[in-house]
Amino acid sequence: MAAITPASLFLQSRPRLSRQSLATTRISSLKSVSISNQKSLSLRLWPLQSCFRVHCAAKPDTVEKVCKIVRKQLALPEDSSVTGESKFVALGADSLDTVEIVMALEEEFGISVEEESAQSITTVQDAADLIEKLAEKKGA
Amino acid sequence: MFSFLRQSTFTMKVHCFERKFCVSSSSLVPLPLPSRMETHFWYILPDEVKSSSLLNQYLDLLSPCEKENVFRMHGDRLKKRAILARALVRTTIARYQINSEVSPRSLKFRKNIHGKPEVEWQLDDDWRPPPLHFNISHTSSLIACGVTMDSLIGIDVEEKQRTIKNNILSFAQRYFSHHEVELLTSISDTEVQRQEFLKLWTLKEAYVKALGRGFSGAPFKTFTIRYGGAISGNVNSEASQIVVESCDDSTSHTSNWEFTLLELSSHYAAICTEKDNNAFEGGTLFLWNKII
Repeated sequence: MAAITPASLFLQSRPRLSRQSLATTRISSLKSVSISNQKSLSLRLWPLQSCFRVHCAAKPDTVEKVCKIVRKQLALPEDSSVTGESKFVALGADSLDTVEIVMALEEEFGISVEEESAQSITTVQDAADLIEKLAEKKGA
Repeated sequence: MFSFLRQSTFTMKVHCFERKFCVSSSSLVPLPLPSRMETHFWYILPDEVKSSSLLNQYLDLLSPCEKENVFRMHGDRLKKRAILARALVRTTIARYQINSEVSPRSLKFRKNIHGKPEVEWQLDDDWRPPPLHFNISHTSSLIACGVTMDSLIGIDVEEKQRTIKNNILSFAQRYFSHHEVELLTSISDTEVQRQEFLKLWTLKEAYVKALGRGFSGAPFKTFTIRYGGAISGNVNSEASQIVVESCDDSTSHTSNWEFTLLELSSHYAAICTEKDNNAFEGGTLFLWNKII
């Protein structure tokens, strides 16, 4: 089921893929959809005759929280550009920063991140996706 | 300008040079390769590099891929640091008398299976590359490159004034070993505690980087850095041993590793190298501060 509001679009479907792709506007069952503020949103719609395939990435809210934690850890000014695609290293994070960020995320979201997973986080989006994956597992 | 905090063998000698070389690869003064008993530690202070034309010359030494990485960095300070880090590695390795083909620009690098950077030597039928190892670390105010022959090496540098955003004991409980948590908990002065935390961090990080298996290859909780007692009854507190022990078996001493901890230009610097069990204890650490 898709619930469309002016500011966001959420979809519950399986399976989830973690890489974002842009949704086109040709959706067979809807005449027009406006998707705004969705830098990293993608949809999976049924049936699959549709000419594109989309999938859900982490909620924008999660991405925003991660950005906030990253900004704080790296002491970045409010107006500095931090988005889902931002790489920690490119923002100036070293290994201690990255571990501190992971710990802050664990505390904020009530999750526990294994070393193997922590090592694979290189962008804000990676962190947000992992958080949602772990939170989902926890809730399951 | 530097001081030993701790060394794992008190017979280690240190030679420190403050030499400033300038400019192009043609004026790189060649050096013989380190002997197996030596660790070479090269470092630069980014704030000492003020000339943008010099920075452009360094940028010119980098591979296309490295240049791309530089441009991805956010802001001029981070871009400058990225250029200097790669320029330091390239000029340092090229400085050794390896062969006439090797220049800072010609060197190629790759990552091992765990992501540790290494030289990709251009092999020739009748030339075998030297078993040269290196490792880099940098902060905003210091960039360092350690070099050894025939021995794994890992280094880590941290600014002494660096603040920890999380609660130190919570952080230690999450990531450090039981013994290390105890050590930190026993320190009542918060400033001293922060300093000891940083020293432990740099030593642990240097060890993991020397192993080259990545953060998950040797999780911090699985080993302890311990400041052991003095050797042979010699009660010299500055020369007490630093050892690493596996947490799984406290009797097993991971005795293959040699640690050195320095204070260098308002930084802590930790160096971890493999011990040469056949040679006598001790070695020589050469420190160079240079503008490349």
